[in-house]
Amino acid sequence: MYDTIVIGAGLSGMLAAIGRAERGEKVLVLAKGHGATHWSTGCIDLLADVDDPLAGIAQLAIQRPHHPYALAGPAMIEQGIARVRTIGEAADYPFAGNLNRNLLLPTALGALRPTAFAPATMIAGDARQLRDGRPTLIAGFAELRDFFPPLIAANLRAQGIAAEAAQLALPPTQRQHDFSSVTLARLCEQPAFRANLGEQLAAHVRKGGYARIGLPAILGLRHATAVVRDLQNRAGALIFEIPTLPVSVAGMRLYQILEDELLRLGGRIQLGGFVQRAEHIGDTLVAVFSEAAAREQRHTARHWVLATGGILGGGVRATPEGYLYETALALPLQTPDGRAGWFAPRFLDEHGHPVFQSGVRVDQRLRPLDAAGRLVYENVQVVGGALAGYDPIREGCLEGAAIATGWAAGQA
Amino acid sequence: MQTLSTDVLVIGGGATGTGCALDLAMRGIRCILVEKGDITHGTTGRYHGLLHSGGRYVTKDPQSATECAHENAILRRIMPHCIEQTSGFFVITPWDDESYGDVFVTNCHRTGVPVQEISVAEMLRREPALNPRISRVFEVHDGSADSFLATHSVALAAREYGAEIRTYHNVVELVRVGDRVVGAIVEDLRSGERIRIDCTYVLNAAGAWAGKIAAMAGVTVTVVPGKGTMVAMNHRMVNTVVNRCKLPSDGDIIVPIHTVAVIGTTDVHVPDPDVFGIEPEEIQFMLDEGEKLIPGFRQYRALRAWAGVRPLYKDKDVASDRDIPRTFKLLDHEERDGVSGILSIVGGKWTTYRLMAEQTVNELARRLGNTQPCRTASEVLPVPRFEHRAHAMVTVSPDPAAQTPHYWLGKPLALVESEHAAGDLICECELVTRDRIIAAIDAGAHNLDDIRRDVRMGMGPCQGGWCIYRTANLLYERRCADGLSHTHANEAMLHFLQERWKGLTPVLWGDQLRQARLDELIYAGVLGIHRLRALAEPGGGLVTQHPAIATEYVQA
Repeated sequence: MYDTIVIGAGLSGMLAAIGRAERGEKVLVLAKGHGATHWSTGCIDLLADVDDPLAGIAQLAIQRPHHPYALAGPAMIEQGIARVRTIGEAADYPFAGNLNRNLLLPTALGALRPTAFAPATMIAGDARQLRDGRPTLIAGFAELRDFFPPLIAANLRAQGIAAEAAQLALPPTQRQHDFSSVTLARLCEQPAFRANLGEQLAAHVRKGGYARIGLPAILGLRHATAVVRDLQNRAGALIFEIPTLPVSVAGMRLYQILEDELLRLGGRIQLGGFVQRAEHIGDTLVAVFSEAAAREQRHTARHWVLATGGILGGGVRATPEGYLYETALALPLQTPDGRAGWFAPRFLDEHGHPVFQSGVRVDQRLRPLDAAGRLVYENVQVVGGALAGYDPIREGCLEGAAIATGWAAGQA
Repeated sequence: MQTLSTDVLVIGGGATGTGCALDLAMRGIRCILVEKGDITHGTTGRYHGLLHSGGRYVTKDPQSATECAHENAILRRIMPHCIEQTSGFFVITPWDDESYGDVFVTNCHRTGVPVQEISVAEMLRREPALNPRISRVFEVHDGSADSFLATHSVALAAREYGAEIRTYHNVVELVRVGDRVVGAIVEDLRSGERIRIDCTYVLNAAGAWAGKIAAMAGVTVTVVPGKGTMVAMNHRMVNTVVNRCKLPSDGDIIVPIHTVAVIGTTDVHVPDPDVFGIEPEEIQFMLDEGEKLIPGFRQYRALRAWAGVRPLYKDKDVASDRDIPRTFKLLDHEERDGVSGILSIVGGKWTTYRLMAEQTVNELARRLGNTQPCRTASEVLPVPRFEHRAHAMVTVSPDPAAQTPHYWLGKPLALVESEHAAGDLICECELVTRDRIIAAIDAGAHNLDDIRRDVRMGMGPCQGGWCIYRTANLLYERRCADGLSHTHANEAMLHFLQERWKGLTPVLWGDQLRQARLDELIYAGVLGIHRLRALAEPGGGLVTQHPAIATEYVQA
């Protein structure tokens, strides 16, 4: 019997688990697999398209009282982020940024993306610095099919940044195939590979006088800060990473430091356990059953946190007939009325698609409610993407809302 | 205005028009083909890929059945690289009339469609996923055909024989002098330039759009645009084409083609071939029908839905649109409407495109005093360059398994493993390598949708999540020296994302809905492509936005 079982190993679940473990609880994270963290940028987005995220959130909380930020409250946002930053510092993977001012970091297309906090390995790419007129080099490998310097540089130039592009030669390796971002990240932790890379970068700097070099976010998996530091010394220029397509190395690092912290605090993680049904007595959740290795396993706990994500994370699924359901506990969902209202005609519609705001409605303590507003389980809290009424991707609050609600559930 | 002159101006770059251009060129008749989109932009690129045995038409449309059986054998000979010899079953399920089986066999014999009854045990041995409650099975010579590749091969041959093929050229006016059509004004959609083409004959091969073209000459051709909706499922649950043994109706055929199985089709009359939607009920109905053939059909992942518009020609009152004969008709507008210099070829189906071209060109040749015979039934078609290597693998592999007539995903995979670094795999779902995409770009693909039609990039489960980004970058790197700018590359991505979205929304549930959300995370989240909208514009040879080719599905 655990004190708390967290279902889901994404950002919100890990924060809830860390919070509870820190208070001395016996905690298990039970998940089907890794969460959406592995697909995201590795940055902490609080709120896009505002200058001051914290002020934007305060306004949002007034306008939309059911938004996860409104439910978590400003204290939980600040404390949750502070906790992630402390974990990062201790792991030599610090995050830089500000609650009151968004950074603007280049994407792998050369767009400038607002985010509140970024790992130190990315911070030199902030557009305010890039616009100082000194030349920036965007460099990659032809073998990496998820990063193309010429278009990034061209789009940056169109936005007033003096950027140029170059392809680097892949340093000699044993491997013939599959230079994925993860493979390259592991190679970057080998001194010989890094030395070769450093020489090439230094040659470019000597020739082009670059003040900064943007590289794909593949600079190490467990020791990224050290890798970047070493490459900067060798190249004689500032280096910044640019997040690549999933699988995202920077996202994996963020997950990894949280996992290390949870294990350090005595928590447990069980992946490969797909929670598919629950057992309850009245409004108390008693046990869940997970499918794993062709058998069902029963898990019991006093308190539960549902952190399975929304449609992206797999916590909410749709049937061909147009019915949406919550996969783990069969909680009631708040969804658009009818399939006809699920999608906007344009894929990149600025308001997003209503179906992706489907999720669980909760009370002020994040406990699940049914359509009539009655409490479903008194000992369950719902966090992150599984919550209804917001679009974490289009609002640019994916990590912020996950951290705020996850941290709130870790404290209650 | 630039003026060109030719013997025959062919309008329409589908299977029929392209086939006519080849036949004309082979006989030494000068011709120019104009198509408002890409080759196969219309109905040819939007069908399920069935190479008809003729079985579907033996009862209601015996002439079509005979034509199909005849052409089926010819196409297998002249385009082996486009056809997978799947074979086909007509099966009687518990929902079908038992007595139709004998009628079907009799009518097959009568129309010359080869057929053989096999046992249900034999059927289940070959296709274990089929419904064991099926009571009778008839095997026919169905196959599946890559209509994109086939039409490209025909176009390539036509060019080699001297035909001029102009894609993204839209007819804006037919020039009439008195009662004679003497040419056309066409607009190059890439540059906006107008060109006058003088000709002895205009051949209207615009398929579902033939009525619109005919109207420009002041004559009436009633084409009933019959919308057929199809759904691609992410598994080849069968390797044989499976038809319900009954009179043709909705959702009664499953065609395995490349990596997917396509279930089709519906038949809904639409007023305009450019404006139609896909109704959720159509999709649900087809999934239900799929269950009758393959229990558990609904559990497979639906990849995308699309609709093509059948060019059915209605020349007299017929009860329902499905009763309109599927055979084709050559209309002589001089005799019919008193307007000379223009012929229309209407109706028909992909399987009979070559025969349609032969009969049409016979008539044109006679009028032009050309006595060369038709040779399209005997000359094997060339393989486009972007298919060279993938195709070579099919025939030269020492591995006996690779020699099977079935498309086998292992073939391209073996090629990738033996000759490429895996980093060269740009579209992982369809195993499309970097060199094939570059060959398609070099062959003149104008945008990502053209590349998709050439090499199937973006047609797998991820629906372009990764490969849209990669391919747009390759397009930019390959053509930036020719003036393709970053604004065009950005536009190419935005355009293709929206094109894919149209086919996705009707089938978004389960994993495919989750995939759509992941694609939104990639493009709106990680890449922030919407932030580049101000830095996106058509041009640089991309043809992405023009009212003449913008088929917008109406939201259901």
